[in-house]
Amino acid sequence: MNKFFYPKLALVNLKKNGNTYIPYILTCIGSIMAFYTMVSIHSNKGLDQMPGSTNLKMILFLGIIVIGIFAVIFLFYTNSFLIKRRKKELGLYSILGLEKKHIAWVLFYETVFVTVISLTLGLLGGILIGKLLFLLLLNIVHFKSPLNFHIDYWGLLITTGVFLAIFGLTLLTNFLQVKLSNPIDLLKGGQHGEKEPKSSWIITLIGIISLGTGYGIALSVETPLEALLLFFVAVVFVIIGTYALFISGSITLLKQLKKNKKFYYRSRNFISVSGMIYRMKQNAVGLANICILSTMVLVTLSTTVSLYIGQEGMRRDFYPLDVSIVGEAANTDFTEVKAIVESEKDKLKVRSNDEISFDLAHFRAFQEGSHFLKDMVEDESTDAMYYERISNITLIPLDDYNRLTGANKSLAGNEMMIFSVGDNYGEQTIVFGDDQYLITEQLEAIPMDFKKTQDMGHTYYLIVKDDALMDAIYQTMKNDDDPQTTLHALMFNLDGDEDTLNVFSANLRTAVLQNNPDIDIQNLYEALTELYFFFGGFLFLGVFLGSLFMMATVLIIYFKQISEGYEDSERFEIMQKVGMDKTEVKKTIGKQILMVFFLPLAGAIIHVAFAFPVITKMLAAFRLTNIPLIFLCTLVGVVVYALVYTVVYLLTARSYYKMIH
Amino acid sequence: MRLLEVKNLKKIYTTRFGGNQVQALSNVSFSVEQGEYVAIMGESGSGKTTLLNILASLDKPTSGEVFLDGKNIVTIKDSEISAFRRDNLGFVFQDFNLLDTFSLQDNIFLPLVLAQKNYQEMNNRLQPLSRRLEIEDILQKFPYEVSGGQKQRAAVARALITKPKLVLADEPTGALDSKAAMNLLKIFATINDLGQTILMVTHSVAAASHANRVLFIKDGEIYNQIYRGSMSNDDMYQKISFTLSVLASGGEELE
Repeated sequence: MNKFFYPKLALVNLKKNGNTYIPYILTCIGSIMAFYTMVSIHSNKGLDQMPGSTNLKMILFLGIIVIGIFAVIFLFYTNSFLIKRRKKELGLYSILGLEKKHIAWVLFYETVFVTVISLTLGLLGGILIGKLLFLLLLNIVHFKSPLNFHIDYWGLLITTGVFLAIFGLTLLTNFLQVKLSNPIDLLKGGQHGEKEPKSSWIITLIGIISLGTGYGIALSVETPLEALLLFFVAVVFVIIGTYALFISGSITLLKQLKKNKKFYYRSRNFISVSGMIYRMKQNAVGLANICILSTMVLVTLSTTVSLYIGQEGMRRDFYPLDVSIVGEAANTDFTEVKAIVESEKDKLKVRSNDEISFDLAHFRAFQEGSHFLKDMVEDESTDAMYYERISNITLIPLDDYNRLTGANKSLAGNEMMIFSVGDNYGEQTIVFGDDQYLITEQLEAIPMDFKKTQDMGHTYYLIVKDDALMDAIYQTMKNDDDPQTTLHALMFNLDGDEDTLNVFSANLRTAVLQNNPDIDIQNLYEALTELYFFFGGFLFLGVFLGSLFMMATVLIIYFKQISEGYEDSERFEIMQKVGMDKTEVKKTIGKQILMVFFLPLAGAIIHVAFAFPVITKMLAAFRLTNIPLIFLCTLVGVVVYALVYTVVYLLTARSYYKMIH
Repeated sequence: MRLLEVKNLKKIYTTRFGGNQVQALSNVSFSVEQGEYVAIMGESGSGKTTLLNILASLDKPTSGEVFLDGKNIVTIKDSEISAFRRDNLGFVFQDFNLLDTFSLQDNIFLPLVLAQKNYQEMNNRLQPLSRRLEIEDILQKFPYEVSGGQKQRAAVARALITKPKLVLADEPTGALDSKAAMNLLKIFATINDLGQTILMVTHSVAAASHANRVLFIKDGEIYNQIYRGSMSNDDMYQKISFTLSVLASGGEELE
């Protein structure tokens, strides 16, 4: 036999099966591109020099893992689909006299071709797209200095290695398929598993219970911390529920319909119910996959976009005023600090406003009703309520409060006024150590902070009679690692263009810390860079993974349509022979297909609807509390996704109808 | 009474781009009486299937007419053709053409459901039929769970349940083993005895030898026909074999 026989045959096979192999190769190329891009961006040396890149790198690393797992699952899935479709062909070869080892050679060469084509195009595409995406990423994270994007040889090597392993494994499973079967089985391969599906009430019940539990958790979550802890639990329940209901629930329902003779034996129901049973059995897992993937796309996109858009709003939550300089009152010369600030402002012509300065003491305490305890109960349980009770307490002397607000309040030694950032403080008294104080007033506003939604624990500002009392309380309540004395703060807002303010912020930090290394400077503009990196990284990953999942969904839909088309064309013929109208057949089948393909989308939208409360709570942990914004992002995401989904459906439906005729 | 009348049927297939023309039927005329059992024989490519497709109203002739019970099925409108086929014709195919998605019972019910009959009536019709065809016990099974013979009997039940004027059978024994084939032919004979008109296209001499009359078709024309008269099945078999061998050797010297 000619030594080129196998490669030639393999090549012919790939061409002949083009309508399934080309999409498969495209998937491989896409996965390789995605993987390489992530790896190369992650290992880019330039990234290390950027501030806040640790978070970004962690997010990107997460992306690499997700894409890797995804590629393994997805390529296996498509490969098993392809080989199932080709069993007849392989059976024919063995009847024509090819031994199993010869068939194995053919399969080997096919895999070699697929691998070579996919890796070459995938890596080339990765290098090109990678550069583009890298620039996009830099833009998203507001990083201005141009970075070089090199071809990452290490990344090429890793990607090649990972995908060679994946292709090798798919080839092994194909070998196993051929080895374990005889020619007759292979010839009949396409007709396997046409048995009436067994529906199980138990699995259906499990599905309903898990889905109910998942939804229940999603709806009952009250605090962001709970949301973060329980989200993944809910996700697991919902995934189990989705699979169980798609696999068993749908068929149980349809079988009940079938038992109702009056309903079932009507011409329209008759064909659609039995057709749906058949389709659901074949497609249940695929449809559940689409449903889960779609949900993931929607949740990822809506959260990351909300975070990115919402960060402008949430930065104010972190930084009530742009700059705050806090140092120990006793050993910091604030006149000098003030002078440094002024001189730095002069240098860059930066203006400031809303300047306030005041004494304060800050500590954390464990709240039990009106009692605030110095010692936290040493029980690091996962109970979310435990963390809820840790309060941030800031004491401010009355004269500073009066000076800053222009008020003329007075307080006795056992009296305090309170400002609670979150919900109002519900008690009449407050107890620190052994001393009880009377709350005379719930303040609605203070100059150094404002009302906002509280996520973990409470933040209270207490106005006390004078510095002496403040110091006394502080000394009883402070922990060992807190500063020795009470503090003084200088806060102000900045005015000017962002670039100048970035430079000013950096200069200010250096200048102040030179003489006062212990001073704590919080600066919005410095923080923004980190925020951009954090949320920008998230957005990048979200869009990236979203597109990848979307590609997967498109492909699954396409493959489903094709396999349906082959089988339906036979059924279509028989029904016509038995006396069903051509247009009627087409209508019935079209309707079934429509239902089958839009079921996952409907499922995904319901999932997202139930996930919405958890998502808002989780985003609140990132200080994003703008629920209308989140809702809008989610809604736009759902609408856009539904549109894309519909377009994909229409396009693939065309190739389906072509097959039927 | 004349149930089916075929007059000067002609069918020419044109390749897609109007190139070659193939004449499948050149001039076919014959008729079938009510209650007859007719077999049509011929080699592959002789035009049997084309003829059957036209009789089944699945295909239109290039020219000529087909009357079923006095109605010209060539001129029936496309929108009515499915209903006409459902109400007047029963089909038995070589490869059974049962739908995998239905149990045997539902496969048999399919034409009735399409004709919007109620469940009670369908069931009443099915009972005697399934007993006669000996498929009562397997009605709830699915096509892939039963043997070829059982499948074909279910297909016969599906053809008969609408009480058609004419049963058209296309190589009904083609995919069956000899025992199952014999069984099916006996069933055909029995239902013919009960008055059912049957038109069967076949290759098989054994199958054709059960018919009352055998038409031979060659190169798109009726070439010869044999009436059973008082002949036994064996005599019929001999005669058909002889005619076929003459047909195959050129057939010029036949009377």
